[in-house]
Amino acid sequence: MVHVNSALLAGHALGQDDALDAADQQHLASCSHCRAELDQYRRVVTLGQGTQASETPTPPLDRIWRSIQAELAPPSATEEIAATKTMMADSAPPVTANDRPASDVPRNDETANDKPLSVVAASDETTDAGGEKPIPGRRRKWWPIVAAAAALGLVVGAGATVIINRNDVQVAASTPLTALPGQTGHGTAELLRTPNDPELRVSVDGPQPADRYREVWLINSDGQRMYSLGVLPESGTGTYPLPTLLANGLDGFTIVDVSIEPYDGNPAHSRNSQVRGSLPE
Amino acid sequence: MRARRVDWRNASDSDLAAGFSDGDDSCLEESFKRWGSLIYTIAYRALDSSSEAEDVTQQVFVGAWQGRTSYQESKGSLPGWLLGIARHRIADRQRARARDLKVVRAATSQANVKVESQPLVTLIDRLVLVEEIQRLPHPRGTILRMAFWEGQSYSQIAERLQLPLGTVKSHARRALRQLRVRLEEVTSWST
Repeated sequence: MVHVNSALLAGHALGQDDALDAADQQHLASCSHCRAELDQYRRVVTLGQGTQASETPTPPLDRIWRSIQAELAPPSATEEIAATKTMMADSAPPVTANDRPASDVPRNDETANDKPLSVVAASDETTDAGGEKPIPGRRRKWWPIVAAAAALGLVVGAGATVIINRNDVQVAASTPLTALPGQTGHGTAELLRTPNDPELRVSVDGPQPADRYREVWLINSDGQRMYSLGVLPESGTGTYPLPTLLANGLDGFTIVDVSIEPYDGNPAHSRNSQVRGSLPE
Repeated sequence: MRARRVDWRNASDSDLAAGFSDGDDSCLEESFKRWGSLIYTIAYRALDSSSEAEDVTQQVFVGAWQGRTSYQESKGSLPGWLLGIARHRIADRQRARARDLKVVRAATSQANVKVESQPLVTLIDRLVLVEEIQRLPHPRGTILRMAFWEGQSYSQIAERLQLPLGTVKSHARRALRQLRVRLEEVTSWST
């Protein structure tokens, strides 16, 4: 069977009424292949005719390209940190705090406005801000160091300030983690001062849903930026070094969030949080 | 790794894709030049927000570059892949908005919620077509634009362009066939 010439089908779709002769018409009536091709041409005509150059603003391509380059800058710690500081100062989109802005995360203002806790100053220890930790935003390097600390069995209540001497480790601040609407579970997050970089110890007592993993995040109270600290082990307890930029203070990254993540390869926050709490600044 | 600073401006999409997945960063730049504007425009029209369109565009190219080793030409063209990523990113944001809207509606008992006016896939196809129509070379591009957007008949076009009617018609057919192939190449991505 000889199909109708493609050019003629295109002409027919374009409304060129002399494109098809009687034999072509007859063939078309009985040939699904040719009708399918004609339908595709018609779709292009319909879409094309209904579409004009529109009122879309000129894309700020230079700015977007600079942001892309900044986000993909080589992992030289000094460069990236400098870049990060600049961007934070410009309140640019979250380039190093990877993924989506924290404003995408379901809000829980009750938790965010939790009672203030007092921060205990580090005694005679100074934190080492010049560590060689990987810079934030490259989360593969932020997998957690599983804590042995759970063995201590600490209980820290809301509003309480507790100093525990585990050799050189002090709890500088803590917050209870409470379940978000529709979730169950509770826990504790503690900011630890160590002879090296500060760490965050997170302990969650609550179910880990099947076929999901949990991830610990530090979200800025400006609602714009967040860091992924790493995966929460199934045991529900993990200790995470803080991003180097936060070694001398949380700088607004006070909200501790534990999210439930599907194994979908998407590094962004799933927007499905199990528990959350807020550390004092 | 290819030699750096190859001039990719005249490279085919397919060669560009190969350089891209090899990790040649000048291919990332050329890809951005070719499709950055299109992706921004799609995101802008879908989300009606220039800042979100900027974010999406940035995420698409950063994500594509970071995931370049997972690109397989057998599954579709490079622009098809980029548009696929864009579609997911835009859909994520639309879902988030729908959820916010639901919360607002639940809180205020408002029954009227604005519904998306056209499916994202249709919007993408439309905007890809605009771009392709604008890129068609003279005279076939001129002819098709006059026919599609100015509503002129073929004989009017023939008169204005001082071309035989048959020539005008066959240019229009060739243009349409080219658009159909191009739309298929650019938008099909098998995920």
